[in-house]
Amino acid sequence: MVTAAREIFLPVRNQTAPSFELEQGHVNDDLESRLRGLWVRAQSGDEAAYRSALTLAATRLRGYFLRRMRTQPDDVEDLVQETLLTIHLQRATYDPALPVTAWLHAIARHKFIDYLRRHGRSAALHDPIDDVHETLLPVVEHDFTARRDIGKLLDLLPAEQRQAILDTKIEGLSVAEAAARSGASESAVKVRVHRGLQRLAAWLRSEA
Amino acid sequence: MKTQELVEMLARRAGPVAPRAVQRRLAGAALAGLIAATIVIVAGPGVNPQLGAMGVPLIQKLAYIGALVLAAGWLTDRASRPGAPSAAAAASVVGVVLAMAGLACATLISAPAGQAGSLVLGSSWSTCPWGIALLSLPALGLLLWAVRTLAPSSGRVAGFAAGLLAGALGALAYSLYCTETSPAFVLVWYSVGALLSALAGAAIGSRVLKW
Repeated sequence: MVTAAREIFLPVRNQTAPSFELEQGHVNDDLESRLRGLWVRAQSGDEAAYRSALTLAATRLRGYFLRRMRTQPDDVEDLVQETLLTIHLQRATYDPALPVTAWLHAIARHKFIDYLRRHGRSAALHDPIDDVHETLLPVVEHDFTARRDIGKLLDLLPAEQRQAILDTKIEGLSVAEAAARSGASESAVKVRVHRGLQRLAAWLRSEA
Repeated sequence: MKTQELVEMLARRAGPVAPRAVQRRLAGAALAGLIAATIVIVAGPGVNPQLGAMGVPLIQKLAYIGALVLAAGWLTDRASRPGAPSAAAAASVVGVVLAMAGLACATLISAPAGQAGSLVLGSSWSTCPWGIALLSLPALGLLLWAVRTLAPSSGRVAGFAAGLLAGALGALAYSLYCTETSPAFVLVWYSVGALLSALAGAAIGSRVLKW
């Protein structure tokens, strides 16, 4: 746990870091080699691989945003969750010929710039990035809960979308089972899930 | 909801990603836009009755537009994906235009003295770009809609690429009606028409292509 925390909090300037720098997006970095195989399997429908890949991505995203948002640490987990949701919704835009990290980094960077735009970039620019020693940063043990609760936002979705998400993504029914339960076609269930998640992502973005 | 719970939720029953989903989405929008523009030409001004007898000039024209469609389509694909380099696709667009410029220059050089002006201007230079820009509108709307569901790093660039693709598709429909045969005319005025659509796409894209 200690090493994991240290890894997350590695500063941008520390180029000797053996691990991942999301901003580089190099094919040969450590994350790429770990993520590549998982991602390819996830794209072909391997749920366990997808879960592992997203878990790995979440940790790295948290580090990426934390390094850039020292004065707004409370917003970090919100942004991590919003970015994860975007990654999921944009899965189709990943080109297997390119590094997964380059794709993830572009999404994280886009989300971060969007965050700055929404919050006024002045606050972020005042971050004393180089003056704070890593060991002085308070590393609080917590369970990475966002302030905006996606679980509560789920309740606000239109009934059909909420039910489709609850059936498949919470309860774990197959699309066919969810279709049988709701009386809709399988493609309708898929569309409802996708639209519902899109709406959640839009809410996260607008309420931030 | 904790982040790990969100991860579990997103992964559960996620299913496979449809292969080539981006290409298919863009191709569907492009095809629908082309069909709409073709219907406008057929129902409106009508197809040029001499089209079949045009021969080599028509082939040159269609080769240029076809290559532009492919290059602009590639650029739109690149611009719609996070982190995908688009330099090669952009270079292919430039390459297509340069190849046509070479052909246009060759015909201008070998033309009899005093004819260069009419080879460039033809008889319809003042209407051709506007016709192409108008015919590109259905594809422009559909393509921007498609790109909006994707993740362009720059709305302006992706909008420009989608507009260029829509412009090339509008030019393809316009070529059914057009009677011009000079490659120099096609190079200048067809390209201007496609560029109008591309600029409109960039202006709209910078506003609407947000995610």
